[in-house]
Amino acid sequence: MMNDMHTRRQFLASGKHLLGGAALACLQGESAFAATGARVPAPHFAPRAKRVIYLHMVGGPSQMDLFDYKPQMNDWYDKDLPESIRKGQRLTTMTSGQARFPIAPSKYRFRQAGQCGLWMNHELLPRLSEKADEICWMRSLHTEAINHEPAILAMQTGNQVAGRPCLGSWASYGLGAINENLPAFVVLVAIPSNRDQEQAISSRLWGAGYLSGEHAGVSFRSKGDPILYINNPPGVSSAMRRRSIDGINALNEINYRHLGDPSTHTRMQQYELAFRMQASVPELTDFASESAHTFELYGEAAKKPGTFANSVLMARRLAERGVRFVQIYHNNWDHHSNVSGRMPSQCQDVDQPCYALLEDLKQRGMLDDTLVIWGGEFGRTIYSQGQLSMTNYGRDHHPRCFSMWMAGGGAKGGTIYGETDDFSYNIVKDPVHIRDFHATILHLLGFDHERFSYRFQGLDQRLTGVLPARVIPELLA
Amino acid sequence: MTRIRLLFCAILIGFPTVSQAESPIDFDRDIKPILSDNCYHCHGPDSESREAELRLDQKDSVFSERDGYWIVQPGNLGESELIARLVTSDPDELMPPAESGKELTAEQIELMRRWVAAGAPWKEHWSFVPPTRPQLSNLEHLEGARNEIDYFIAQRLATAGLKSEPMADRRTLVRRLHLDLTGLPPTAEQVEKFLADNREDAYERLVEELLASPHFGERMTVAWLDQARYADTNGFSIDGGRHMWLWRDWVIHAYNGNMPFDQFVIEQLAGDLLPNATTDQLVATGFNRNHMITHEGGTIPAENLANYASDRVRTTAEVFLGLTMGCAQCHDHKYDPLTQRDYYRFLAYFNTLEDKGLDGNSGVNSVPKTQATSILGRDQIEARQLRRQLQVLEQQQQLPLGSQAAWEEQARREIAELGQDLVLVPAEVINVSSPNRISEFELRDDGTLFLKNGGGRSPSITAKITQENVTGLRLVFYPDPSFERGGLGYGKKEGLEGSFLLTSMSVSATVAEQVDLYEMIDIRSATATASHPDHPAVDCLTPTDTEGWSPGTGVTTPQSITFQFQRPIHASETPYLTVMLVWGGGRSLQGGKCRIFTLSGNDDQSNIPLEVREILEVSPDQRTPQQGERLRSYHVSVAPERANLRYQIANLKERLETLTGKYDVMVMNTAKKPRKTHILNRGQYDQPGEEVTAGVPAGLPQPPPGLPDNRLGLAQWLVAPDHPLTSRVAVNRLWQLFFGRGIVATSADFGSQGAPPTHPELLDWLAREFVDSGWDVKHVVKTMVMSAAYRQSSVTSPEKLEADPYNQWLSRGPRFRLEAEFVRDSVLQVSGLLANRIGGPSVRPYQPPNLWREISHYGSSPATAQVFVQDHGERLYRRSMYTYWKRTVPPPSMISFDAPSRETCSMQRERTNTPLQALVMLNDPQFVEASRKFAERILHSSSETDARIRFAFEQALARPPSNEELEIVRQTLQQELQRFREDPAAAAEYLEYGESDRDPDLAVEEHAAWTTVATLIFNLSEMITKG
Repeated sequence: MMNDMHTRRQFLASGKHLLGGAALACLQGESAFAATGARVPAPHFAPRAKRVIYLHMVGGPSQMDLFDYKPQMNDWYDKDLPESIRKGQRLTTMTSGQARFPIAPSKYRFRQAGQCGLWMNHELLPRLSEKADEICWMRSLHTEAINHEPAILAMQTGNQVAGRPCLGSWASYGLGAINENLPAFVVLVAIPSNRDQEQAISSRLWGAGYLSGEHAGVSFRSKGDPILYINNPPGVSSAMRRRSIDGINALNEINYRHLGDPSTHTRMQQYELAFRMQASVPELTDFASESAHTFELYGEAAKKPGTFANSVLMARRLAERGVRFVQIYHNNWDHHSNVSGRMPSQCQDVDQPCYALLEDLKQRGMLDDTLVIWGGEFGRTIYSQGQLSMTNYGRDHHPRCFSMWMAGGGAKGGTIYGETDDFSYNIVKDPVHIRDFHATILHLLGFDHERFSYRFQGLDQRLTGVLPARVIPELLA
Repeated sequence: MTRIRLLFCAILIGFPTVSQAESPIDFDRDIKPILSDNCYHCHGPDSESREAELRLDQKDSVFSERDGYWIVQPGNLGESELIARLVTSDPDELMPPAESGKELTAEQIELMRRWVAAGAPWKEHWSFVPPTRPQLSNLEHLEGARNEIDYFIAQRLATAGLKSEPMADRRTLVRRLHLDLTGLPPTAEQVEKFLADNREDAYERLVEELLASPHFGERMTVAWLDQARYADTNGFSIDGGRHMWLWRDWVIHAYNGNMPFDQFVIEQLAGDLLPNATTDQLVATGFNRNHMITHEGGTIPAENLANYASDRVRTTAEVFLGLTMGCAQCHDHKYDPLTQRDYYRFLAYFNTLEDKGLDGNSGVNSVPKTQATSILGRDQIEARQLRRQLQVLEQQQQLPLGSQAAWEEQARREIAELGQDLVLVPAEVINVSSPNRISEFELRDDGTLFLKNGGGRSPSITAKITQENVTGLRLVFYPDPSFERGGLGYGKKEGLEGSFLLTSMSVSATVAEQVDLYEMIDIRSATATASHPDHPAVDCLTPTDTEGWSPGTGVTTPQSITFQFQRPIHASETPYLTVMLVWGGGRSLQGGKCRIFTLSGNDDQSNIPLEVREILEVSPDQRTPQQGERLRSYHVSVAPERANLRYQIANLKERLETLTGKYDVMVMNTAKKPRKTHILNRGQYDQPGEEVTAGVPAGLPQPPPGLPDNRLGLAQWLVAPDHPLTSRVAVNRLWQLFFGRGIVATSADFGSQGAPPTHPELLDWLAREFVDSGWDVKHVVKTMVMSAAYRQSSVTSPEKLEADPYNQWLSRGPRFRLEAEFVRDSVLQVSGLLANRIGGPSVRPYQPPNLWREISHYGSSPATAQVFVQDHGERLYRRSMYTYWKRTVPPPSMISFDAPSRETCSMQRERTNTPLQALVMLNDPQFVEASRKFAERILHSSSETDARIRFAFEQALARPPSNEELEIVRQTLQQELQRFREDPAAAAEYLEYGESDRDPDLAVEEHAAWTTVATLIFNLSEMITKG
């Protein structure tokens, strides 16, 4: 692969020699905003993470059934959530009309994992628990949003209102691409084995907002064209495509000689990049080169296109090839009812692949500079939505507290950060607002969240917005 | 090269150079940005974050004496605390403080010093002061100037030490004008006509002609749709369909009719409040209903309504005032005089309609709404044409086909073989589920699946199969006494009582809760035992919401539908099938009791009607004339070679309907009991504070007395002749369209943090000219494109690129990539495929399969627009502004070229240059097909290679090729011709792309080779650049 070891900045630097300043501006997006203050930022300090793999669990996994152990709740079965805990906080309209808010203790077996001793659901996440000491556990995330759409937007873009760039776009903007033959920011939408409680997700979540469009996530599809329009039309061979691009560029060069428009040169380079992308994608998506050991590690499901295991393995391949930010969405965590019917397959989808990803990255020496993030857009209520029995219950959305984890890339393994009350309803220690979480991730990527900005509509826009946010030092290795 | 050679008039505009350093301090340009950027955060309009009770955005405060010292004493550096604080060595005293992360450069400090020394001239923020018409008396005889614009441009060029370029050649100009004023390139014939026009005012005539073209309105509307965040779906969550195209038609019509801009503003913001408002004026108010809405279960209606009103505030303020009022939702604006109170008073204008917080599901527009006809159909001109065209096409459609004998032969064989070797094996249902829905199903002992009323929605049925070589499946529906009229289902709709409507069936050979979209089995045909005449079995083959199969009402015997697979499957390889059934009528036309069979062998059902089968049995010479006629008419109705003609007839019929019928559109109104508006603490909908009434921001000029306190008053205030912002913001946006960037580069922000205008006097002159001409949009557009600045050559020298990289001083002609829509439109036009109809409902051209369905609630929600069903015929080739805009999955080729997502108001587009764009241009079927059709045109143009290449260049690029270019293209042609001769199968495959018919008289190899030539030309940078 060409340019493999070139950073985007080096690439631009060499381009600058050739093209001059304005052409450079064109390469970075021939934007009218450019003149009003946009610039390619430089990291504020040495990054700990060079890449990110973000596993978003769409729907909001229930924290008290996975990582936020609340044994006290067994004594509260079917008793009402005390008003002293609820404190009049708002509920969604799906349960605000319920006559009662009966406590539903988790039905799962918890066990302490690793040296760090995190109490976690051992029954459904046995493999992940083996990694407890390499994982930085956070049990005190909180957000304002109470419904999926605004909550996922807030989680991904820092704002409940659509139109802001997402985390991956910020990373692409700040760090650029390592491999110019592939996009800097790739999105994979995994297909859960059960789909009966899926939430709508859309390209809005990987949009570049006011950043240049080149920073938008490129969705890799598990079937059909991996990247839209990557394949030549029927009857057109790669050799013919090569000849076409040579012809196009020869004619473009003549045009450039006459008019001197630098964007013509930029376009010629984009055609070369497109050709190289076409050449590198088949190799990327062909898993035949993976060993039997790999599939043992990730599980048989990794062979089936579109599964979470397959997506996670693809994420590792992308990371290996220099993609900065891989975002995987795994749906169906929105368990308003039938937690016991749905949780097992959800956990089965992710347990082994998450373990495998951390192990695989470690074996390849990539874990230290690859940040892996796991979590949803909010948590779930301790009280049952709908029918409650000893063995089954439902849970509504709960933004006041939820659990996430990170590993590698400068996150401190074996940390257990934050505490909630006995009801997993309110945070009692070390809250982490999603703004703090974003500030911490940016820190790991080498950016001071207060200085990492983009001038738009006269303002220095930031991922963390205008309200206070802080990097959480306890989470850093 | 030709563009240089054809230069016919050289103009050079020059002024003596004045260096920037010697130029006097300009407060707006030099000082205000420093203060705003570095000081206003703590010493600006926001009272909450203000430090030391000091404001540096107000004159009184800056020139005040405080406890014995002066903040600024004009002319006296030593007595000005502001300067002292900028240069002090005491870190506790230094401003801005280190922790703010802000720091003034040495140049900025020097500017501040020079400003104070020069007497600290202070101006109110430029955009809040009404524009006045600048005097031009001393500049009257500027060489080469075409109109006033050029005087202002020349002044700035002189300051920057730059010279303008000579006028571009006429080919460049005609192409530039066409692209700018219509969004389409000129045809070679249009170019020739202009070149042949030797009259002195030929250029002006062309401008007039293009301003009068109906495509001018389309071109202007494209930009307006971004600002108005127009889309065809609701946006949030399930993202169901809506109907707002009548509003889009209104906008096109308004631009084409050159509606004065003040009226354009008033009708869109407050048409409903005008005395004796017409339906069209009501339709115009759809502007502020275009925002996203939600019907997501669990969301809180009051919160949604607060969000909708906020969107109207943000949009209205950005589009008309150029102010980022959204910043004042949670706190006072940090830079502009907009308090939180101002924000909610402004919001009160938009908070009085009777909209609902959860509404707009099932493809039904949310309230308030109205029914109206399209303003574009009123003149009946197109309707009359359509009726005539339909007559002709329907006659054509009836003409006998040469293929009839062969078809008869094949049909007879099929009928003879019906049911041959048919084996039906029941599949054992092992699971039934339904997404997002508690399932109510019952597996009965007799092997039938009983679907309870309303409980099923769209069931996904997983069944074990045992058969080898399965070539299809059959669904048998049984009657039950518990169903309406003892029929086959739960339907209540007239004509379908006691029946059902099956809109689609999808199947994958997988075991899962739902059908695997990526493993779906392709279906070849659908046949049924009995069908309602409007609901034949074949209607199940596309997943539309409205069309499907139904046996019809009154049927009380079992009926079945049979689907044949493209390729057989085998139980030994894939032992399970998952089948998804989708019911029509918003899922209410549900079947009740069914059974699934797999089959091998031949289907025993046929879609050929019985009486046609009987005629087929009669030998041709024995048939009565009536029989012969019936057979012919049946054959032409199914013959594949007539498919495009049938599509065309259907398309034209629908077009006629949309031009004449009444349709739904969302509008503004005033509720009988309007909601009260409160200041919301931190912008939170559930933390209302003080109640406020509607009013304009206190820091802006106030409306004259007598205007009503409602949206109409607001609109009238906006278009008052002396309003400082509306006219400037509007002309700036027009300028941006043609020159690539605004005179104010931040076209959505004319506030303190916005970019100061590069040509403030020009902006004011244009604003005054706009208002004084009666807000005449075409007049202002004409003035811009008549200027010498616009007509310059866009040749870019390295020196100019260095000195003026963004061409902000207009030292050369505007040159930039076309908007996403015009990239596709240009290619369609040159290929000859473009269907040039104006307005109407959105269309669904090609897009990669399943993009919508992947993320949608298809089958589980009554929301529409959950599954993409591609159109056919001319609807594949309409202008891109009519492409159906689904907000959660916008058309990927448009997004690649920087079309905004239409989620929120967008005032300017980016112009990126990415590899994904190259992939679209090279591989999107729309573009590949266009190359094939362009190749046909090229081949028909001449029999000689060079003449053909010349034709291609002239059609696509408005110029002939140079010899060097000719040689490259010839070479490509020869190479590909040779290659396709070696591999004719590849050529044939290549030419099959796209649904348009191919001219069968053209040799495959030659057609394919010329298709690569067409691709070559379409992919040139020049093709998609306005230059």
